[in-house]
Amino acid sequence: MRLRIGFIAIAIVVSVFAGRLVQLQGIDPKQYAQMAAAEGSQSVVLPAERGEILDRTGEPLAASADGLMIVADPSLTTDDAPDLADLLSKRLDLDYFAVLERLRARDSQFQYIARQVPAAEASKVVAEAREAGFVGLTTQDDPVRFYPSRDVAANVVGFLGTPRNDGSARPLAGLEDSFDDYLAGTDGEARYQVGAGARIPLGDNTVVEARDGNDLTTTIDRDLQWYAQRVLSQTVRGARGDSGYAVVMDTQTGEVLTQADYPTYDASDPTDYPESTYTSRALSDVYEPGSVEKVLTVAGLIDAGKVTNKTRFEVPPVLNRQDRPIHDYFQHGTIRLTLAGIIAKSSNIGTVMAADEFEPGQMHDYLTAFGLGRKTDVGLAGETKGILPSADLMTSQTADRIAFGQSLSVNALQMAAAVNTIANGGVRIDPSLIRGTATLDDGTEVGSGVATERRVVSEDAARQTMEMMERVIDPEVGVAPGAAVPGYRVAGKTGTAQRVGAECGCYDGTFTVSFAGFAPADDPRFTIYVVVQNPRNGGGGGSVAGPAFSKLMGYALRRYGVEPTGTNPSRLPAEW
Amino acid sequence: MSSTSPQRRTSLPRNARAAVDRARLSVVPRLRTRAPRVPFVTLVSLILLAGVVGLLLFNTSMQQASFTASQLEDQATSLSARQEALAMELDQLRDPQRLAAQACALGMVVGPTAAFLDIETGALTGTPTPAVAGPCGFEPVVRPVRPVAEDVPVLPGQRSGAARGRTQGSGR
Repeated sequence: MRLRIGFIAIAIVVSVFAGRLVQLQGIDPKQYAQMAAAEGSQSVVLPAERGEILDRTGEPLAASADGLMIVADPSLTTDDAPDLADLLSKRLDLDYFAVLERLRARDSQFQYIARQVPAAEASKVVAEAREAGFVGLTTQDDPVRFYPSRDVAANVVGFLGTPRNDGSARPLAGLEDSFDDYLAGTDGEARYQVGAGARIPLGDNTVVEARDGNDLTTTIDRDLQWYAQRVLSQTVRGARGDSGYAVVMDTQTGEVLTQADYPTYDASDPTDYPESTYTSRALSDVYEPGSVEKVLTVAGLIDAGKVTNKTRFEVPPVLNRQDRPIHDYFQHGTIRLTLAGIIAKSSNIGTVMAADEFEPGQMHDYLTAFGLGRKTDVGLAGETKGILPSADLMTSQTADRIAFGQSLSVNALQMAAAVNTIANGGVRIDPSLIRGTATLDDGTEVGSGVATERRVVSEDAARQTMEMMERVIDPEVGVAPGAAVPGYRVAGKTGTAQRVGAECGCYDGTFTVSFAGFAPADDPRFTIYVVVQNPRNGGGGGSVAGPAFSKLMGYALRRYGVEPTGTNPSRLPAEW
Repeated sequence: MSSTSPQRRTSLPRNARAAVDRARLSVVPRLRTRAPRVPFVTLVSLILLAGVVGLLLFNTSMQQASFTASQLEDQATSLSARQEALAMELDQLRDPQRLAAQACALGMVVGPTAAFLDIETGALTGTPTPAVAGPCGFEPVVRPVRPVAEDVPVLPGQRSGAARGRTQGSGR
């Protein structure tokens, strides 16, 4: 009997144990495992390093470094606030009063003193403060992003704003924004047990390595970009213009060596500049290209077999068309020009007469093939696709104006790529800003690795067009002798377009002046396009953008050691 | 055997019995050689002691190593931070704008058109032009348009606004 009671007692105790076991292991084992792990263990986030943005030679345009934020606990710092503020403001170049205010903030235990301070500097300052007997300062991870070349390519690269509170980057513009996921990487985590401030040697220790972000190599040539921005800025200021863009493309690969915008900003200190300067206007501004577009029209005409560059036209002083008369920018009687002469002198009337040879819809097809009316998709957000009226909507009046570059709109890179088609022997190659390939946040692959080529006009049509464009630079027959590069054959075309004002939506009497060209004309290496919006010095494409083109082209040819071809420039007759 | 012998014994003649008695095998008590216990106990104790002391020393040295590791890690972190800071400074020194300004201060200018000399044939292509000394400096392209804190007269109540602009920009 006694034995039986004993067994029952043991059974009850064992049942309680079993029940507890089921509770622990069966119902919620993870919570307890976590509690056990958390006891005496420490977990540290291993921050992934954000990839760098590099130029084509590997020079950094945007780079990352370890950084710290300095945080104060005002409940501890209030007493010594003035002395501590003095130390911090001197060492970290901060505003004394702002720091003082933060150190004395009431009802707070967390105040940012400085963010994104390079790690070495921050720890030095905090150690110094500690030695001097101040308490209440701590540091936390806060990676620094810096832009060593400041304004160079700032509109392409973009910048990161002050990080979010969870420490993640806040991209605000440019490649930083559109390739954020590609650049960011994934944070890792280390979890280990600690005792007395050091790791317990044989304790639990798990490490998930951080996966660093990818570096993004652009096609930008930093030095050329720097020079282009200086030349562009001088040009726009000299002409008292509103803004400007300059694009330098490698003719054969379509790589964009330079995409300069003015006005621009300093990426290492963007808050000092208006937000309107952050985007790349070369992609986001939409404007009418003017006479530069004539080369696309005539290249199409020659390709379609309608004309040659020697075809003769009798150009009247005024061309009366359906709705209104068409004039040239210069006064003349009836002149007898070849097609080359029409291009060299940039005659609207002559171009319209030549374009009459097109079958209906043919011009639209050519312009579409040249890439107008479609985004270049180089990898920057905010690009406009321009405005190319559809073939159905293209009335004969519109078609007349489109033939000489009005009534259609483009962005600067689009236009540069179109002119580059002529330089590249009639084959259009997609422009690219990224070397190789990289993945945009929306999953699209972009870059020179996925750029496609497509023949738009025949090689012969491209060559004939080039010969005509060479006459534009000729001091005797052309309108832009200022664009010449001594020693080299240069082909180009000016543009002086009426501008649609923002307020009235009509031509408001202001102009867009531009120059597009390539060199050496018979074996092109670079295509350069320079645009100035609203010059107030009365200059046109030849006198404002031409000299800027010449400087840029000269610099690029020298920089890449391009030899002059040594052949003679075309002597196509302009008149007959 | 022990069960059969009494039976046999009873059937044996008396005189033989004595002989049997004499010849009878008996179990000899085993000769116990008593090994001395002390050395063994000492050995075990020593091993035990060595083990414990060894473990203790090992643990201590591990702990020591762990402290050293932590220390070295800290040092590595601070050195890599220093290296990064120096790399950053170097990158900033290589800023094209700064280089141009320094070159300009030395009297250098952007070169004009170059010519190419073919060493084998001696042929010259291009038009060489001498560089012209003169103003080479480029004006800085960007100028902050927002007033910086120093330019604005500090009025009561405005101070924090202007100051916030600077501190949020970054501490650099």
